[in-house]
Amino acid sequence: MRQIKILTSGPHTSIQDFGRIGHQALGVPEGGALDKDSMRLANALVGNAPDQSVLEVCMGGLSFTVLDDCHIALTGTAKGQLTVQDETGINLDVPSYRSIAIKKGRSVRLGMLPDSNAAVIAISGGIDVPLLYGSMATSPNAMIGGLNGRLLQDGDGLALGHPPSTEDGEDRAEYQLSAVDDDTSSIRVVFGPQDSRFTDEAKSRLINDDYTLTPVLNRMGMRLDGPPLPHIDNADIPSDGIVKGSIQVPGNGIPIILLADHQTTGGYTKIATVISADLPKLARMRPGEVLKFEAVDVETAEKIARAREENLMRAIKSMMPAPPLVDTAALYRLGDTT
Amino acid sequence: MKITSQNIDKINIIPSSDQGVIVDFSSFDADDAIIFSRLLAQRLRDQGLKGMVDAIPGMNNLLICYDSIITSHETIAKEALSHANGLDASDQSASRLWRLPVCYGGEFGPDLEEVAQENSLSPEDVITRHTANELTVAIMGFLPGLAYMKGVDEGLYRPRRSSPRQHVPALSLGIAMDQTVIYPLASPGGWNLIGRVPFHPFDAHRADPVLFRAGDRVQFFAVDQAEYHEWQEGLVQGRINLTPENTPENTNGNSTGGAG
Repeated sequence: MRQIKILTSGPHTSIQDFGRIGHQALGVPEGGALDKDSMRLANALVGNAPDQSVLEVCMGGLSFTVLDDCHIALTGTAKGQLTVQDETGINLDVPSYRSIAIKKGRSVRLGMLPDSNAAVIAISGGIDVPLLYGSMATSPNAMIGGLNGRLLQDGDGLALGHPPSTEDGEDRAEYQLSAVDDDTSSIRVVFGPQDSRFTDEAKSRLINDDYTLTPVLNRMGMRLDGPPLPHIDNADIPSDGIVKGSIQVPGNGIPIILLADHQTTGGYTKIATVISADLPKLARMRPGEVLKFEAVDVETAEKIARAREENLMRAIKSMMPAPPLVDTAALYRLGDTT
Repeated sequence: MKITSQNIDKINIIPSSDQGVIVDFSSFDADDAIIFSRLLAQRLRDQGLKGMVDAIPGMNNLLICYDSIITSHETIAKEALSHANGLDASDQSASRLWRLPVCYGGEFGPDLEEVAQENSLSPEDVITRHTANELTVAIMGFLPGLAYMKGVDEGLYRPRRSSPRQHVPALSLGIAMDQTVIYPLASPGGWNLIGRVPFHPFDAHRADPVLFRAGDRVQFFAVDQAEYHEWQEGLVQGRINLTPENTPENTNGNSTGGAG
């Protein structure tokens, strides 16, 4: 059985895929990767199908040993990099958005992420754990999926699926591609579904004021800090369904943006909803970062989603073989001897 | 109540960005709204609407989740309205009935005494009233397998607790407002805990992990500690199987059976 062994899991690493789609009417959260675009790019780099299970690393601090030859790739971070041992035992720094072939027995390390709260590591063959409702995704709060429904821990052994049967197989080349750029730094929202329950002042605050991401942040949601958003009467509604990116505002007026592992129904007013194309960018944001919201209408949101999808397909299509990595430290050592 | 061309414009269509279309029935009678949202979800699932990724019934609306790369708000809204036409809230033929055991009070129901006192009842009265009514699963939500059951006796009314517990044990049964829930997993929670059940509303290892469906009817009966453990053991060993009455396949009214 192909597998990897986790040496250090980091504070918030989990097995993810596209999630349990279509079962929220049973109270089963959809879950899945916070940044599905980065998941698709990482899988493409190692020759996996787009929906194969990956490691989602929310803060970094992950290291593991590969017990079989495989290819791996890191995405969802511009500045983060993998450190891997080459055949001679020398450490190589591997940038994100390129794959690397790793021999059995070598270890891989990802330090704390300087610029992202949702990086993805794909391994050829994908992670292989039992399916529940067609998905391996971990929802730690619902205690389902992944390894026993929990985040990864030091010492965990993870089985890998069969390596992809691409034309180049085990001798597959190393590839690189470009990250899909975000076309704006703002987080775009459509007002509603319950914006009529808020004062005009609340709606103008959301768009014009700064909201800072607090450390109260997990796969279920992120609490913001900023001017409170007052309700006209109160914050309660008859419980109803929720989509990712819903900006829920309880009675204290402090907004919470709900993410992939949100509960399937809730009883608080939602002033606005983040558009689907901006969910990956939102998920990568870190505590202390300032969110600027921008209001768009539904038709615009749909156009942006389709344009982003085209960019993503283009990025995958333009994937090309990566040049060999240069071990600069070794070059310096070589220089010393001459 | 039926939805016809005469009243269909009482339905509001509201977007949840480019991810969801809310079909809002809140202008209808509250009991009908729950049923409409459930029936519409079923119709749309049966149709296999292109680009629809989920349909989540709420207390007075249906949230249709869609993939905006494949379809659009406009298309989904149009389809939803055309399928809403003709919905009939009296169409409850497929409703299943569960008769299920609860061990009330003691360490399993730490709030039983308080619920009794606040309503000027004895704990025994609370149990009698809670087991007298047939409850209906209005919606599912919050946790995998958690059913919001409506229809609790008015004499047992309590709001949710002002400070929720950080840890509610799995299988606890709580009441608040006119509703009952069973916590499928240990979780924080604000409901008034009056008992515990020996069966699992959610079990990832069961062929069908989730026991209840919206629209199911539930009637509880009281068991003592010894019977509770017998039920628990019987379920684990497979001697007892929970089966509802009045399923479309089983209309003879076989009961869920007893322990031992």
